[in-house]
Amino acid sequence: MASNPSNVFLQGGKFTEFGKPITLRKLFFSNPSVLPYNYRNFGAHISCSAIVEKLSPAAGQGELDSKSLTTRYLMTQKLPGQTEKPFSSTGKFGRFGGKFVPETLITCLSILEAELTLALHDTDFQEELATELRDYVGRESPLYYAKRLTDYYKNSEGKGPEIYLKREDLVHTGAHKINNAIAQAMLAKRIGRKSIVAATGAGQHGVATAAACAKLSLECTIFMGSIDIERQSSNVLHMKNLGAQVKAVDGSFKDAMSEAIRNWVGSLETRYFLSGTAVGPHPCPTMVREFQSIIGKETRKQAKEKWGGKPDVLLACVGSGSNALGMFHEFIGDEDVRLIGIEASHSASLSRGDVGVYHGTMSYLLQDEEGQIIGPHSIGVGLEYPGVSPELSFLKESGRAEFYTITDDEALDAYERLCRLEGIIPALEACHALAYLDKLCRTLDDGTKVVVNCSGRGDKDAAAVIMRKQDRLES
Amino acid sequence: MAAFSSASVTPKSTVLPSLPKPHRPSSAAYLQSPPLKFNNSYKTTSSTTPPPVFCTLTEHPMTSTEEELRPDSFGRFGEFGGKYVPETLMYALSELEDAFKSLSADQEFQKELDGILKDYVGRETPLYFAERLTESYRHPNGEGPHIYLKREDLNHTGAHKINNAVGQVLLAKRLGKKRIIAETGAGQHGVATATVCARFGLECIIYMGAQDMERQALNVFRMRLLGAEVRPVHSGTATLKDATSEAIRDWVTKVESTHYILGSVAGPHPYPMMVREFHAVIGKETRKQALDKWGGKPDVLVACVGGGSNAMGLFHEFVDDKDVRLIGVEAAGFGIESGKHAATLTKGEVGVLHGAMSYLLQDEDGQIVEPHSISAGLDYPGVGPEHSFLKDIGRAEYFSVTDEEALEAFKRLSRLEGIIPALETSHALAHLEKLCPTLRDGAKVVVNCSGRGDKDVQTAIKHLKL
Repeated sequence: MASNPSNVFLQGGKFTEFGKPITLRKLFFSNPSVLPYNYRNFGAHISCSAIVEKLSPAAGQGELDSKSLTTRYLMTQKLPGQTEKPFSSTGKFGRFGGKFVPETLITCLSILEAELTLALHDTDFQEELATELRDYVGRESPLYYAKRLTDYYKNSEGKGPEIYLKREDLVHTGAHKINNAIAQAMLAKRIGRKSIVAATGAGQHGVATAAACAKLSLECTIFMGSIDIERQSSNVLHMKNLGAQVKAVDGSFKDAMSEAIRNWVGSLETRYFLSGTAVGPHPCPTMVREFQSIIGKETRKQAKEKWGGKPDVLLACVGSGSNALGMFHEFIGDEDVRLIGIEASHSASLSRGDVGVYHGTMSYLLQDEEGQIIGPHSIGVGLEYPGVSPELSFLKESGRAEFYTITDDEALDAYERLCRLEGIIPALEACHALAYLDKLCRTLDDGTKVVVNCSGRGDKDAAAVIMRKQDRLES
Repeated sequence: MAAFSSASVTPKSTVLPSLPKPHRPSSAAYLQSPPLKFNNSYKTTSSTTPPPVFCTLTEHPMTSTEEELRPDSFGRFGEFGGKYVPETLMYALSELEDAFKSLSADQEFQKELDGILKDYVGRETPLYFAERLTESYRHPNGEGPHIYLKREDLNHTGAHKINNAVGQVLLAKRLGKKRIIAETGAGQHGVATATVCARFGLECIIYMGAQDMERQALNVFRMRLLGAEVRPVHSGTATLKDATSEAIRDWVTKVESTHYILGSVAGPHPYPMMVREFHAVIGKETRKQALDKWGGKPDVLVACVGGGSNAMGLFHEFVDDKDVRLIGVEAAGFGIESGKHAATLTKGEVGVLHGAMSYLLQDEDGQIVEPHSISAGLDYPGVGPEHSFLKDIGRAEYFSVTDEEALEAFKRLSRLEGIIPALETSHALAHLEKLCPTLRDGAKVVVNCSGRGDKDVQTAIKHLKL
């Protein structure tokens, strides 16, 4: 029988429902509305099956101060040597993160933070979001055992890891971006905003935002770099078809992002900036990560169903980090799960960058000696961002996650390999993660469970792949 | 060997004279298992999912309309259907039939198919309440039907075609076939077939009309990327019907090693039945989801009809529920009267094409008329025999929608719900314009959103001048 989280109380250190002790497992797995977004402290790493709390009557009215929040978390599994502060209004992950913004934006961001907290506490919002994710987005996405890929990586004795793909390519609009877009669009509507502004690189976030806005009857303006508009013309057509206005900006994604923020600052009361990436000033990285964390939550549940345990290795591509964090965040507290992020070799902020402040947050970024931003490049356009999420920077520095790089050619090979072996056309971004399997699988024990986040489908990349193939044949 | 040209056939009476039983190769499994009758038990309110595939064949030829066996043991739906094929293919077809019958009783097969549909294809697809679309069809007094979309566009490869491709390739593997052939018009069925062949490691050859290959270059590249060989067909008008004929020709010569994955509920028996059964998961899920959502059944089911596979997939589950209206929508192209359309059930006459007797678009000499539709998937001059049967007995209603109306519906769903439907699906959505004003308040309409429209955005933008 499903339990209603609002009936669950904490008594004497145990969760109870109607006075009877209730296992968290029962609560968590039996109530789908609990699934998307349990409230959790931004900043403490709490295992997913831990917390659903009943708001105390006093705090039920609205404002939740940080003190009442910090006294609320019960099961915390801290990372060794963790320097992350508990929830506070600066949004820091160790020394990364923060709110490096002009004064005009500070109030706006604090309001956003408060609204977010309220929304995550509100069971009605959670249920509505869960319904949209199920019926509109098409969740839960399957955890697919890639048998032919697994066999391909087996060594001569027939031993090797088992490879599973988290099929984010099957969700509506074909990439994980929609998880965040629909949730933020619902939040914007809840706050009473009528118009959305967003920036997109590859176009996937633009399409997801345009779809969510069409559904919720919000006005939508997307800023896109002129270089990207040329490269991703099919996504531009999608956005226009969905009723969004696409505005060209000289340059690429980072310039589009700056222009979008400028546009937002111009009319803060009526517009909502829908960020697709886990970067930006607090609360953006946390918000995007929370909304994408549904990926990791489902993975945990599905792994339990499939093999009765947890994944051993999680592999995801890293542009700014939204899909990687969505997969990793759930498992950060599980020390026995390896987290591996793969960047594009010419856009490798974590592997080759230095710490600095960009777009309102402190994180690793690609900069020259004078601190000017170096324009990144990748065949996977969605990975082309000179910065990266502050949370990933923190995970790198604390040693919790590992980051490597993959070249364009290796990604292209992985694209063709997955097509031939599994009949799945992956996005070029996801191909970076798949390409790393070449190096990884040899080092793993027999039967290790590897879950790769197949973050999007690759139909949009077919034209680019044809051109590159022709170039390679000619050279 | 040319495909049989059609001839105008006056409809016979529905009672057939009894024919001698056809020779069947003895098969131990076949003799031991009892004839499988249509099992109604899963229609009760249990939450367990019924197995994906049912086989409804019985031993008895059709003797009366009350029985409504679809199809009977000769593969006939009333007078439609049948097996109008050369002798070389008869054995292959009865082997296929036997295999299908035994597999639908095989729990292992059902479990394997279920697992693939769930993890690989991404089922079950949601039944989505289209709130803004519903609002747009409300009368000024606030009354109107409720519109739900069955989201087949969320499947892997983006259309319902994969349901059938997956089922048939598993069947082919059981039969020990190493080579798969298929025909394709728009490319969606070709991509679905290439996908499953890559997944299961089988050789894949797709026949596609040369003209279609030009129109759908991206789909051709996708098929090649997935490891399939795409063979252009230059005969005739170089479109879908010619590709089908070429595929049948190939199958005749290599019948032992090859399985032909037909993309729709057309063709000789047992294909109409098999393809319908593999797609029937759509209707089964809809029943379960309707029960969960509003505790009842849908009142109206609407689907687009080209060959008829997605429509049969949705309808089949509900054919025996007389209170559920079944509506199929065909392509009227430039208009029914213009002569440039694909509205087979509205304007066609009975004849034989690609091995089955059904309605089809033919001239006075019995030659096939070239159809036209802006959506390549509906551009087929024939239709599945079961649809012809359902139309004749009045169980299902068929209408048609022009290119213009379909494009408007394409734009409407994109703007109102943020879902870009395939142009084929847009035909079904366009029919809502005429349907909704006639329905009572609160009537539950389920539209089969059979595919996503990413492949059609270029066409639409050109026509809509966005």
